Amino acid sequence: MQQTLTPVRVMRALGPLAWIGPAIVLIGVVVVWPVVVMIQSSFLKISRFGVVQGANGTDNYTKLFAEPDFAGVMFRSLVWVVAVVSITVVLSLALAQLFNQRFPGRRFARWALIAPWAASVLMTAIIFKWMLDPEVGLINMILHKVGVLDALGGADADPLGNASTAMPWLVFVAVFVSLPFTTYALLAGLSAIPADVYEAAKMDGASKLRTYWSITLPLLRPALTVAALINVMNVFNSFPIIWAMTHGQPGYSTATSTIFMYILKGSDIGESAAMSVVNFGMVIILTVIFLRVSKWRTEVR
Amino acid sequence: MNKRLVGAVTLGLSAALVMTACGSESPAGGEKAADGSVTLKLVAADYGDGPTAENSGEKFWKGVVDEFQAANPGIKVEVQVINWNDIDKQVATMVQNGQVPDILQTGDYSGFVKDGLLYKTDEVLSPATSSDMLEKFADFGKVDGVGYGIPFVSSARALFYNKDLFDKAGITEAPKTWDELKAAAEKLKAAGVSQPFGLPLGNEEAQAESFLWFMGNGGGYKDTSGNWAVDSAANVETFTYLKGLVSAGLTTPNPGTKNRKDVWADFAAGKVGMVNGGPMSIPIFEKGGLKNFGVAPIAGKSGPLDTTLGVEDWIMAFNKNGHKEEVKKFFDFFYGGTAAQKISDTYKLLPVTKSGIEKLSSDEKLKPFLAALPNATFYPFQDPKWSEVNTQIKQTIGGAIDGDPKEVLGAIQKVATAN
Repeated sequence: MQQTLTPVRVMRALGPLAWIGPAIVLIGVVVVWPVVVMIQSSFLKISRFGVVQGANGTDNYTKLFAEPDFAGVMFRSLVWVVAVVSITVVLSLALAQLFNQRFPGRRFARWALIAPWAASVLMTAIIFKWMLDPEVGLINMILHKVGVLDALGGADADPLGNASTAMPWLVFVAVFVSLPFTTYALLAGLSAIPADVYEAAKMDGASKLRTYWSITLPLLRPALTVAALINVMNVFNSFPIIWAMTHGQPGYSTATSTIFMYILKGSDIGESAAMSVVNFGMVIILTVIFLRVSKWRTEVR
Repeated sequence: MNKRLVGAVTLGLSAALVMTACGSESPAGGEKAADGSVTLKLVAADYGDGPTAENSGEKFWKGVVDEFQAANPGIKVEVQVINWNDIDKQVATMVQNGQVPDILQTGDYSGFVKDGLLYKTDEVLSPATSSDMLEKFADFGKVDGVGYGIPFVSSARALFYNKDLFDKAGITEAPKTWDELKAAAEKLKAAGVSQPFGLPLGNEEAQAESFLWFMGNGGGYKDTSGNWAVDSAANVETFTYLKGLVSAGLTTPNPGTKNRKDVWADFAAGKVGMVNGGPMSIPIFEKGGLKNFGVAPIAGKSGPLDTTLGVEDWIMAFNKNGHKEEVKKFFDFFYGGTAAQKISDTYKLLPVTKSGIEKLSSDEKLKPFLAALPNATFYPFQDPKWSEVNTQIKQTIGGAIDGDPKEVLGAIQKVATAN
């Protein structure tokens, strides 16, 4: 029979649109459109006062790549992502295993783990900055009392003032705030593993380590992949921790690409947009590499 | 769960989102409301301690606006107060999106002039208000001889020292030269003061602290003929001297990461012997519990500074919405009434009008600053490169303490002279 476009047929074909339409509109308005504007801006000459002064070709990119600090910033961003995500995942695997056991006070411990997640990241970062204040920081005062630190107020009591000591603290805080989500994602994955596979392993006489390696980890992979991937994107774009604790200083020595982008916004908005585009590309590349490496498509056998 | 209901709710929510997104754009343009009243949008920086503080910008402006609206029933003023750290970026976004305010009060006006976004001063200030402005200040508001920026408040800098700590260390008077300053710092250190000199070279206001030190050696950001000279021999020597102070442990540790606000708080807490400050730091020190402090001219290499850093903040009117007459009324009200004086009283900022300075001349604590104002030196902010140079200074100049001053200052000079 010949297909005819009767009104009823059209209505039926468009029917699903009524349901997915709002979502498409939302994604279009809050995701796609800003990306388009961002890419557009990166080819415009825009003063720091926001006045668009016309097209600028690829000059923004040329200027960005010629920044003496650019290479260092990009390298630091990579190290930052790898360090924070890997430490977070390893610790979360252990924590998830722990919280999956039955022990007295487990409910309380699980609740306590949520705390860093429930608090605003900016607040957490500021509190850590205060605790590390050279004169009145709690951590420094304790170190002073214990005798590790000779005197308050000096350079020794100022870990955030120096890149080599500030970076580990920044990573520590980033791990601290990433742990709850990651642990809970893995905990959910753990509780989804059926008990009978463990029973079978036991019957076969597998050791604990062997069971974990051959059963738990493979079955946990979907949860692990999702948790790690979300962390990669989150940490790469992480802004409040570094901004609140060091502002990327001294110089740009603790700045990641997101921080660098924001600082550039104070002098040249077009260049800052170019940095955003580079950032955006980096996240996509990191995600693709990550998914390749973790072979997320292959079914768990 | 009822899927139809969920769908309907989602649809409704997203529709609402889209509509509000469109809705926020409608009040632009010079249209008047149905009842003929005009709404002026005013964006201002916060001189207070944040939105919840007793001295917040919101409260200050609400007082001004309430009074103004009562006197001018046809005009409404909508105020948005933004903190100093974010105001530049937020205003830039407003300009980029074409949603400019009618009145903007902030630290710079020069970038809006070239593109014709601002009313000329003559168009929005009545002659009476105009002639009351201090000429030197008004001159800085001009580009090619035409005024665009209207002076709002000003401030100057001087050396603050903690008299109790000076007594304890056996120092009788404030240092006048760099050698005396170093000697005083050593005595303070020996007396157990952890930060003899408070040195904030972090991103908050590194450009001010550095400038004060440069002046002490006859240097500055530009040379006498107006060319950029950030890495001049005098400036390099200045940072080499500072480097010596820092490595001897006589200052705030790692000054390149320390902000003025924190160093002032440490001074107020009695942990810092000397610090450069302004009239606006007086209430901060007093609130922190420090009463016994002295104010002196800033020490230079061979003698105290005969000039100081003058900072001028601005108010300006954008012409996009065409509210010239209403803006004029507001400015006349602001400068002619009690508002301009109230801002000086509340925040210890210096006035920019002749009448305002006259009123304050009896205030003992403000005297050194008022006296310094006529001979003050200002940032080269009329240079179009300044904003970019300033960003670079704020982020990197502290690195001259850890690294090679010549190299760090040279990198800033390169930004200043690049096209």
